[in-house]
This record gives sequence, structure tokens and C-alpha cells, in this order.
Amino acid sequence: MNNGHNPYSPIKTEVIDMIVETPMIKTLKLKPQEPIAFAAGQFVELTIPGVGEAPFTPSSRPSVNDMLYLTIMKVGAVTEAVHRLEKGDTVGLRGPLGKGYPIDLFKDKEILVVGGGCGFAPLRSLMYTLFERSGEFKKLLFRGGCKSAKELLYKHELEQWGEKPDLDIRLTVDVGDASWKGHVGVVTDILDPIGMDCQNGIAIVCGPAMMMKFATAKLSEMGFQDPNIYLSMERNMSCAIGKCGHCRIGLYYACHDGPVLSYDKIKGFRDVWA
Amino acid sequence: MVVAVFDPEDGARQDKREGLFGGVRRAMQFLSNENLFVWLAGLKRDYEVYVPLKKGPFRFYERYTAPSPDIVIGEVRATEPLKGFFTPVKEKVAELFNPEPLRKKQKPMAIVGVKACDLKGFLVQDQVFCKGCQDPFYNRAREDNLIISADCTQAIDSCFCLALDVNPYPESHFDINLSEVTGGFIVEVGSPKGQQVFDSHKTLFQEVDTMHVNERKEGRKQVVAEVERNIAKHGVPHQNEYQGMIERNYESKIWEDEAKTCTECGACTTICPTCHCFALVDQKEGAEFVRYRQWDSCMLKDYARVAGGGNPRPQLWMRLRNRFEKKFDFFPQVAGLNACTGCGRCITACPANIDIRRVLKRLVHNE
Ligand SMILES: Cc1cc2nc3c(=O)[nH]c(=O)nc-3n(C[C@H](O)[C@H](O)[C@H](O)COP(=O)(O)OP(=O)(O)OC[C@H]3O[C@@H](n4cnc5c(N)ncnc54)[C@H](O)[C@@H]3O)c2cc1C
Ligand code: SF4
Ligand code: SF4
Repeated sequence: MNNGHNPYSPIKTEVIDMIVETPMIKTLKLKPQEPIAFAAGQFVELTIPGVGEAPFTPSSRPSVNDMLYLTIMKVGAVTEAVHRLEKGDTVGLRGPLGKGYPIDLFKDKEILVVGGGCGFAPLRSLMYTLFERSGEFKKLLFRGGCKSAKELLYKHELEQWGEKPDLDIRLTVDVGDASWKGHVGVVTDILDPIGMDCQNGIAIVCGPAMMMKFATAKLSEMGFQDPNIYLSMERNMSCAIGKCGHCRIGLYYACHDGPVLSYDKIKGFRDVWA
Repeated sequence: MVVAVFDPEDGARQDKREGLFGGVRRAMQFLSNENLFVWLAGLKRDYEVYVPLKKGPFRFYERYTAPSPDIVIGEVRATEPLKGFFTPVKEKVAELFNPEPLRKKQKPMAIVGVKACDLKGFLVQDQVFCKGCQDPFYNRAREDNLIISADCTQAIDSCFCLALDVNPYPESHFDINLSEVTGGFIVEVGSPKGQQVFDSHKTLFQEVDTMHVNERKEGRKQVVAEVERNIAKHGVPHQNEYQGMIERNYESKIWEDEAKTCTECGACTTICPTCHCFALVDQKEGAEFVRYRQWDSCMLKDYARVAGGGNPRPQLWMRLRNRFEKKFDFFPQVAGLNACTGCGRCITACPANIDIRRVLKRLVHNE
């Protein structure tokens, strides 16, 4: 419900900082005029005045809501304008939108988080929440992949995660170089063997469509149950409030019923993978 | 003193047809042809009044100015769908960063001569814009605008409303309904708003006599028969047979075959009273940034394209299939109704002769 306010109108927001992550990815530190309280998995629509809007999932800590971070890859009209922003610029935010991860359902379970490329961004916010509630889960595993070491997001932070006793983390790059000491290959290579109870485990996947497609197939093969595989569906979105029709997948609107949808819900629809 | 007359058979024929809206009995009054224009002039005080105007073989809604023989209250649906009065083709929905919903300066609209098929369109549009997070602009238009509907007094070849259980005369979702009879109209009030408008023009209405009631009954029967003939001629299946047809034919050749001639113009969705898709488009206007809600079409290639070029429906036939899936699978499952009113507009509008009646027939019979 929107109690009379205009759901199409964004909240005025100040750009506090622009952080260069990789040649194609920047993180925006944003301060909206009204706090936006989001749960991990929920997203916002970012307006670049006069250019347009695009959906992004915050990469920051959900428990902090007066400031949020968006990590954005340059791919088209809106995101190019994002990359031209400077400290002090004014942008707009609508949100929080969609539904967050049903974290209460993960209690006493083993959780595997699989990320690819820019999918690390939304997953970082999820990981913060999972760390905060770490005692509630049996096991926490992270498997991530990206094109090259140069394009790896949040390097410094990932190193810190590597030292966490409550996290089992492995990373891979598609193409290795001198700076990379880890595994070389696609992310599905480092999924199996995993050493967890796949039958009862939770798998969370976020990344490019192709990566999600192959990862989902692999996870099913490993024994994960369809309702326990959570996928972040990237769809063309416009209104982000379940009205404009764009992001429909079968019986669901990715913006309203997702963007995170369990595999059993969307499996039957043939055009799931864009 | 106005005496209410009920049509004793209204309920009965309702049950027979299992009409969509259930058989509500309403008090009836009479409005003469002369008084219609007095009434319309009176309505202009509070409303922008729109009436169907005949142009060649077509009817278009136009702002009412003065009495004219070209105003056709009865006949058949207008060329353009009713939805444009509630979600205009392009409407300003935000001035960045003004959080207040924009206030309209103009008067609300009274739309006269709306046909039953377009009233069914409300069931779909309301489901989209009034459920969950509400669209304040649509909701305000629904609250403020006045719907003065009318019976169809004829059918045209493309009408197949009965296949979707829509009778060619309004039964609900109107404020006031007019049924054309000799010398004037039978008037029924369908809502509290309609009652208010009726009460403030009370002196214009008279008692209905049984001759008019019988005339209406006959007229309705005839139009129903005309639509039934259309349906038989074109072999249009009844909606009772639609269940499962999309799923069954998902991988069928029907889609590629039907989409062969499609020019991707988007006319079918634009003209459809149930199609609701839109895109938010931002523009710079002077020093201001404004956001428009603008009709969009799922038949267009870019509709579902994502950044980087990925597209869940790159081929035209996939988009045609998607259009039918949305109407005849998604809406029945989420809202319990087919998103088609049988108005036939998409048949007339399509330059490629893609005929929804034929597609439905092929789907039901797995051809
Ligand atoms: C829920 C969700 C979360 C996401 N999270 C992230 C994230 O954290 N980080 C990240 O980098 N990416 C994220 N994305 C992807 C991101 O939204 C896209 O990269 C972005 O939309 C690309 O926009 P663009 O204008 O730069 O690209 P373009 O290729 O120019 O446009 C992409 C699509 O949007 C349409 N479009 C663009 N501008 C307009 C306009 N003005 N009016 C109408 N339609 C228009 C285009 O038609 C095209 O279909 C997320 C996507 C979703 C759905
Ligand atoms: S699909 Fe065609 S016949 Fe059905 S309501 Fe839309 S325009 Fe009318
Ligand atoms: S009106 Fe006909 S040609 Fe145009 S998009 Fe629709 S089906 Fe294709």
C-alpha cells in the first residue's frame, strides 16, 4: 500500500561518494533525504534526472538505512550516466522494492551462496545479513567467479571474508594472470564436490543469466531441491511495482514477487533465461 | 413522484447466460431524446462530457459541444478503447522531486455511450492499477469520472463478446446506463455516484412504460442473436473451452504460423481495452525533469530486452505467444478472468490479418 503517496516519484538523494571498483564498475555512496529501510534482496530504482531510471540492488548493509551503496556496471544509457556522476550530484531513489530473501526459512540449514560478476553486489548485502545472524545457520559457503582478477569486486573485503571462521569461501576467474593464485575456470567447476548436505541445503545464486542457467542445472544435479534454489532474476523493469507488465515471468512479476524467486516457481516457464 | 419499474425477466435471462456480472435488478426511468441534450448540457457544468460521434462507418469519442445527429449513444463500440480516459496514452506521473501526486486542473470526465465490452475492460484495468500498490492517477480517474454506458443496438462482424460471457448490454460497472428505445432511452442507475447525478437532474426523467420495457427486451434479444450469428460464422470457441489451451499448444507451430505476417506495429495491444502495459519515460521540460507513464506493447522487440542485449522473447512469434499467454493463462490464473472482452478491435486494427477468433479456434482445437 502507498497511503496516498506517489509511487512513481523518487526521493531526492545526494551522491556522497563515487568509488571506482573495476574499469567497468563503480560503487555509489548515496544519502536519500528520507531513509530507505531495505532487506537483503530488495532493490531500488535509481533515477538520473532527465536520463531515466534503472533497478539496482544495494550492496550495503541492510541494517544501515540512512546511507546506501549501489555497485553498478556500465552497460547502457542509464548506467553510463551513472558513471559520469560526481560527488554532490543529485539523483533519485524509489524503494525499497520487491521482496527480500526469506532468511527465516534458512534457520538451521546449510547455505551455499553462488555469485558471478556483478552479482557480487547484491550478494554482499545478503552476506552482511548472514554474518550478523551467523549462529542461526549450520554452515555458510560462498563460491564466486568472474572474468579476470582485474574484474573481481570488493577484493579487500573478500580477503577479510577468507579469514572468517564461520565462512567457507572459494573464488575462481575465467582467465588467469600473474596476480591470480586461485582457481582458474568457470564457477560451476568449483561447486562440486562441496561437502554439504545438498538435499536439505539452501542455494542462492546471483549473476549473469548464462551463469545462473548453468549453476542452476549443476545445483539440481548435485541434489538441491527446486524450492531451495533462490535465483535473482534480471528482467527489464520499468514501474517496479507490478503494473507495467515488463518483468513478468509466467505467473510472477520479478519486481513484485521477486526479484529473488525460487526455482520451483519459474522452472515451468520456457523463457526464464533471457 | 417517480415510480420504479423492474424488468421481471432481467434476472431470468441472466441466469441462463451465466453473465459475468450477475443479475442485478435496477429501477428504470425514461429519458426523452430532447431531454438527453438538456441533460448533457447540464452535465457540462461539472464534467468534460464525451460522446460517440459517427464518422463514416466508425464511432469516435469527442468532446460534447452541441446536439448533433452524428452523436450515436447506441449502435456499437467506439473505435478507440475506453482505457484512454483512465490511463492516457502519455500522462505525467511525476515531477522530480515533488513527492505529491500531481493535481489535475481540468474537470472530471463523463463518458457517454460506453459499451458492455469496455466495461469488462475495467475488471482487468482495476486488477492492475487498484490492487496492491495503487496507481494514484488511475484511482483518481476511476473515482472522479462518470460512466454513462449504453446498450448495443447492433453488432458489427468483429463482435464476439458472448464468447467471453459479456452480454452486449451493460449489467454493472456503470454509473448510469442508457437503453435506446423509441423516442428516447430507458435509464438505469448503477452506482451511488450515478444516483447523485440522476437526483440532481430528476425533473428530466419520467416513468417508463411497459411498451419501452418490451422494446428493450426485444432489442437486446436481436443484438444477442446477431453476435451469436457472428460467433457461429467465425467458429469462435466459448471461453469454457479455453482452459489449458495455451499450455497444450505452447510448443505448437500455431505461433510461428500466425506471426508470419506480423509487422510488429503494436496496434493490437494499443487498441485493446484490457492491455495495460506501459513504460516510464523521463524527459527534461524547461528546468524540470518530468516522468511520463506511456503505453507500451509486448509485441515490440525491445519490450523485454535487458541491458547487454539479452531478450527472453527475441522472435515475433514468441511475443505473439506471450500476448495470448498473458490474456488467456496469466489473467485467468491470477484474477479468474480472461483478459479479452470480445470487442474485436484487434481484428480490425491488425494490418496483417492476425485474427484472434482464428487463433482461439486453432488453440482450442489444437490445429
Ligand atoms: C532487480 C535488479 C537488480 C539489479 N541490480 C544490479 C546491480 O546491483 N548492479 C548492476 O550493475 N546492475 C544491476 N541490475 C541490472 C541493471 O538494472 C541494468 O544493468 C540496467 O537496467 C541497465 O540500464 P541501462 O540504461 O544502462 O542499459 P540499456 O541497455 O540502455 O537499457 C536496458 C533496458 O532498459 C530499457 N530502458 C533504458 N532506458 C529507458 C528509458 N529511459 N525508458 C524506458 N526504458 C528504458 C531499455 O529499453 C533496455 O531494455 C539489476 C537489475 C535488476 C532487475
Ligand atoms: S484481445 Fe482483441 S478482442 Fe479481446 S479485448 Fe483486446 S482488442 Fe478486444
Ligand atoms: S496488430 Fe497485427 S501486425 Fe501489429 S503487432 Fe499486433 S499482430 Fe502484429
